[in-house]
Amino acid sequence: MKALATVITQPAHPPSTALSTHALSAGHGKHRVIESLDFALPENQVTAIVGPNGCGKSTLLNTLGRILAPQGGHVLLDGIDIHHLPSKQVAQKLALLPQETTAPEGMTVLDLVRFGRQPHQPWYSQWSAEDQRIVKAALKAANLLDMQNRELDKLSGGQRQRAWIAMAIAQDTPLLLLDEPTSALDLGHQIEVFELIRSLITQGKTVAMVVHDLLNAARYADHIVAMHEGAIIAQGSPKEILTPELVYELYQVRCDVINDPVNGAPLLVNIRR
Amino acid sequence: MPILLLGCAALLLLTSLASLLMGAGDTTPWQALSVLLGAGTEDARFVLFELRLPRTLVGLVTGMALGCAGALMQTLARNPLAEPGLLGVSAGSAFAVTLALLLGASSASLSVYVAQAGALAGCLIVLSAARLKGVGNDPIRLVLAGATLSSLLLALTSLLLMFDQRTADEIRFWITGSVAGRDLASLRHLLPSLLVATALTLLIIRPLAALALGETMATNLGHKPGRIRLTAVLIVALLVGAATAMAGPIMFVGLVVPFIARALAGADIRRYLALCLFIGPIILIGADTLSRILVYPLNYPLAYSLPLLALPYY
Amino acid sequence: MQILPFQQPRQPLPLAGYWRLKAFNQRITLLVSQRATWVNMGLVLAVLAASTMSLGMGSVQLSPAEVWLALAGEGPAMHQLVVKELRLMRVLAGIGTGAAFALAGCLMQTLARNRLATPGIIGIDNAATAFAVASVVGVGSALAPPAMSLVGAITATALIFALAGSSGTQGYRFIVVGLGIGAIAGAGTQLILSWVAIDDANAAFPWTIGSLNARSPDAFKLLCAGLALGVFFAYRLAKGLNALRLSETVPTTLGFNIKRLRAASLVLAVFLTGLAVAVAGPVGMVALLGPEIARALCRHRGLPILASALAGALLMVLADLLGRIMLAPLEIPVGIVTAVVGSPYLLWMLLNPNFRSQP
Repeated sequence: MKALATVITQPAHPPSTALSTHALSAGHGKHRVIESLDFALPENQVTAIVGPNGCGKSTLLNTLGRILAPQGGHVLLDGIDIHHLPSKQVAQKLALLPQETTAPEGMTVLDLVRFGRQPHQPWYSQWSAEDQRIVKAALKAANLLDMQNRELDKLSGGQRQRAWIAMAIAQDTPLLLLDEPTSALDLGHQIEVFELIRSLITQGKTVAMVVHDLLNAARYADHIVAMHEGAIIAQGSPKEILTPELVYELYQVRCDVINDPVNGAPLLVNIRR
Repeated sequence: MPILLLGCAALLLLTSLASLLMGAGDTTPWQALSVLLGAGTEDARFVLFELRLPRTLVGLVTGMALGCAGALMQTLARNPLAEPGLLGVSAGSAFAVTLALLLGASSASLSVYVAQAGALAGCLIVLSAARLKGVGNDPIRLVLAGATLSSLLLALTSLLLMFDQRTADEIRFWITGSVAGRDLASLRHLLPSLLVATALTLLIIRPLAALALGETMATNLGHKPGRIRLTAVLIVALLVGAATAMAGPIMFVGLVVPFIARALAGADIRRYLALCLFIGPIILIGADTLSRILVYPLNYPLAYSLPLLALPYY
Repeated sequence: MQILPFQQPRQPLPLAGYWRLKAFNQRITLLVSQRATWVNMGLVLAVLAASTMSLGMGSVQLSPAEVWLALAGEGPAMHQLVVKELRLMRVLAGIGTGAAFALAGCLMQTLARNRLATPGIIGIDNAATAFAVASVVGVGSALAPPAMSLVGAITATALIFALAGSSGTQGYRFIVVGLGIGAIAGAGTQLILSWVAIDDANAAFPWTIGSLNARSPDAFKLLCAGLALGVFFAYRLAKGLNALRLSETVPTTLGFNIKRLRAASLVLAVFLTGLAVAVAGPVGMVALLGPEIARALCRHRGLPILASALAGALLMVLADLLGRIMLAPLEIPVGIVTAVVGSPYLLWMLLNPNFRSQP
């Protein structure tokens, strides 16, 4: 933690950038997934959005990140409809890491992380002192400083995912949205990525992530949003909301919830049908 | 199923009749009808039996051959887009024929076997490509590879034609595909290979249906996938070579016919192959007749109207 | 945990492989890729060398020195006539069309995130040719063919998008549709040729398979204008397209308007293709090979806009040269040369088990 603390950027923005939805409806084409949803992202916390497949968690995240246009209602960034703001301005406040990421062959870590600076760069300024400072800080936060000139193809899955997160960090936004940041990673790499995400909170950022695994959500999130069929059926701190009833409602499995003897986080045990 | 077959047969009869009644030559449908009923003028008889009948028969045989070849190829490549015209099989036989004509061959019977050899080569190349890792699961890559092979062979064909203007003029019309101007004699040359193809098809139709479930499954059921595949390739080559020698490389029939047949009779090749025998000629003769009516008095080569038929498929 | 403020003056983070140009106390900082610079310079030299060879080759053989003398307005009048009046336009047309095809290919591949999505493969070349042929044999005015070729390119694109449905350029569907449209347009060209008088057909024929023989000066002028604009706008779009190379969503999150980005690149690619077809016919392989070569040379860092155009120009001039000397005095149309050379490469690419469709 000490190494992380030294690289923290001074908060360039007022620490509060609020992202919320008002009567939001969203979906793909005729298939509407979310119906009039009101939701506000808790600031300076890690929020995990959980739920069964097809419950609309990725749709919600993508609509929040303006990848998907809402079919009704609004996504509000500091009280203003996100689609009324210039895209570049939004990009300075909100970064989104998509689920599917494939970088072109031969791209290096530094090449990738530099992309994060684009919302802040006018055309005549391609590598300013500030760009260098922030990219370096992002690389350091993701513990990639000594791999900056390695090609992405030649990294491990966890390192590659950390590089993508470093790009989002270099975007230097108060808000970060991550779509299943640890899918397709093994246990060690998952921990690597989640600890990086936790460290972002100490820099005053707000993080929302879609997570598949309830256990990881309970361990690494401050706030859990449980979605079912396009609606939020429960939200709150892991300890408050993670109950056998909720788990049954979400996944139709029975289980018991105990507290992790080491760190106190809720644990699901005795899972059965 | 029997009703479906009967319906298709009736439709084929109607199409053939239409092709006899309306088409090449200055004979009205009424005159043609009276010829068919045993009367009619000398001119009308000539037009009907010397111009239209061969054309209809060629269409019939070519349509059957291409429809079946398409169905076999799609089953083999396990890819609904696999089609002799798209995948370079027809282009292979066109290239072989051009090469043979350039080297001095001219007899029609020779060019049938040459065309079949060319088709076999094209077919083997494409289907071995389909067995490559990664390509087989990716339908578009296979089709693109076939299309590329096609355009390569066609470019080489045009290159060959540049050596020899005489051959070029002879071939240019044939290359674009047409069922006009063929005589019944050339049909007779095709008969042996078509019979062989039919016999072979009957022999492997059941194992082929098993192969559609996958290689492991076919082996499981006691078949030899390698042998089935080779036989099927041979059949495709015989059929496409014959069709190409008759009418030039015709595209899309092999794509559309099995598609329609599957839509009508379901996905099992044992059921829809028989339908292909009817639908192929219906489409080919229909397109030929239609194009003769639409752009009367021009007789333009068949290949041009067929792609239009494929449009709804996409 | 204690949060330490960021320490301001830090040592810079050097970017390997770039020159950093700065001015006005770092208010202006530009990055120039070293590799791309060397590659572009090498390609320019190669284009010049190939052009010199091409200008010297023919019924009157000239040495490179004689070619340059003639270009400078020195040397025997005969040489000047041969070089400037007979051959120069042909070489310039080769450079222009090659650059336009390859630039269009690079844009299209990037916007569709697929190396196979070049204008030639998805049938835009063929449609432009069909329309232009219709105009050549039908109308016969000087400016009509380029205009018609543009109309054809636009029509084909519109049709492809209408038929590909909501998926747009994403996925493979539009490539399949494009293949079909291309086949239909090719058949249409043949149909038109079989309709008209045999002399007209023979005159138009080489051009329908791609040739630098039948270029018209007006079409060439249009192409030059289009190419200048094309390179300018391509550089305007480069930043967003570069982000698009990462993923479908990254441009949006970085603040680019992805719809506008895609539409602008598509329009640019279609226009360049239409203009190039009007001059040289459908030489679609260049649109595939040019960007491939450029990417390989630049090692995939950044979008190789200039390098693609230069590689395309080089390919076109070389293919034309090859077609002229291989069976001399017979001339092989450049379209056949590129097909014979390019198809095996495309086949190899498609059949490679480790094929990556992403450019």
